[in-house]
Amino acid sequence: MKLFLSLIISTLFLVSNTNAQKIFATRNGKITFSTLSDEDVKAVNNEVTSRLADNGQMTFSLLIKGFKFKYAEMQEHFNDQYLESSKFPRADFKGTIVNLKDVNFSNDGSYKVSVTGDLTMHGVTKNITANGTLEIKAGKPVAACQFSLLMKDFKVDASSVTDKVTVDISCQYQ
Amino acid sequence: MQKWIKIVLIVSGIFLVAGSVVVNIIYNKPHRNVMKEQSVQLSAQKLYEAFRTNEAEANKLYLDKAIEMTGEVSEIIINQDGKVVINFKTNDPLFVINCTFKTNPGELKSGQTITFKGICTGYIPDANVVINEGVLVK
Repeated sequence: MKLFLSLIISTLFLVSNTNAQKIFATRNGKITFSTLSDEDVKAVNNEVTSRLADNGQMTFSLLIKGFKFKYAEMQEHFNDQYLESSKFPRADFKGTIVNLKDVNFSNDGSYKVSVTGDLTMHGVTKNITANGTLEIKAGKPVAACQFSLLMKDFKVDASSVTDKVTVDISCQYQ
Repeated sequence: MQKWIKIVLIVSGIFLVAGSVVVNIIYNKPHRNVMKEQSVQLSAQKLYEAFRTNEAEANKLYLDKAIEMTGEVSEIIINQDGKVVINFKTNDPLFVINCTFKTNPGELKSGQTITFKGICTGYIPDANVVINEGVLVK
């Protein structure tokens, strides 16, 4: 009876262990945004916190004040007038990989992925979908993705500068 | 006729000066230099607790402010732009203070105690408080 019980327990343990989710993370991912209309309007954030689980869940969080511009004056305008970063300090994305079946986390290679989820920025939440690549290198994922955002979708009035920005994501997970 | 030319010259002169002043302000305004700023001194644990307890209040106190922090380096990372990043531990194993150097601090080792001074950009729940544009004080 004792043996039987311990067998059940150890089997349960094994099952739960194999089902355990693997989570990859970084605190220093990179997100750049730029505009086509003015090459000076470009900013980089190197402190993007992101988590990627092998069940397809993905999160990204960044601090608006962490975007660095070439020109200090632009950085100030961006924070104070457009994104109001003292009132809305953070942008968050929570989503999932739609085509998870195409990705094999335990097999090195480059996989095309489509990610969909909710992006919250400037107090507005909007569903977005973006296509990118997930590269598995020595068992560690590297994510790259580019997509566009319309400023008016997030109630950002930057029409004197641009109405659209291109966002570039590059994250190397541990 | 001459008077008319004079007016045009004066007006365009004013515009030229005003324009160059604006351009100068936009393009030559220096970025913040944290070295010259008065800082708030506190520990990694205190900063973490302040944000965890009340993010809005902590934002008022620390967001965009120069912070000086002394502690043990728990991890050293080089970010994708080649800048040195260190983490200070808190009592939550998953939570750190993530600090990016603006200037190269030279060789650092994990376990070493340093004083870092930088600008706090905010709080990411369950992950980290971010301080960047930093310098090594000692």
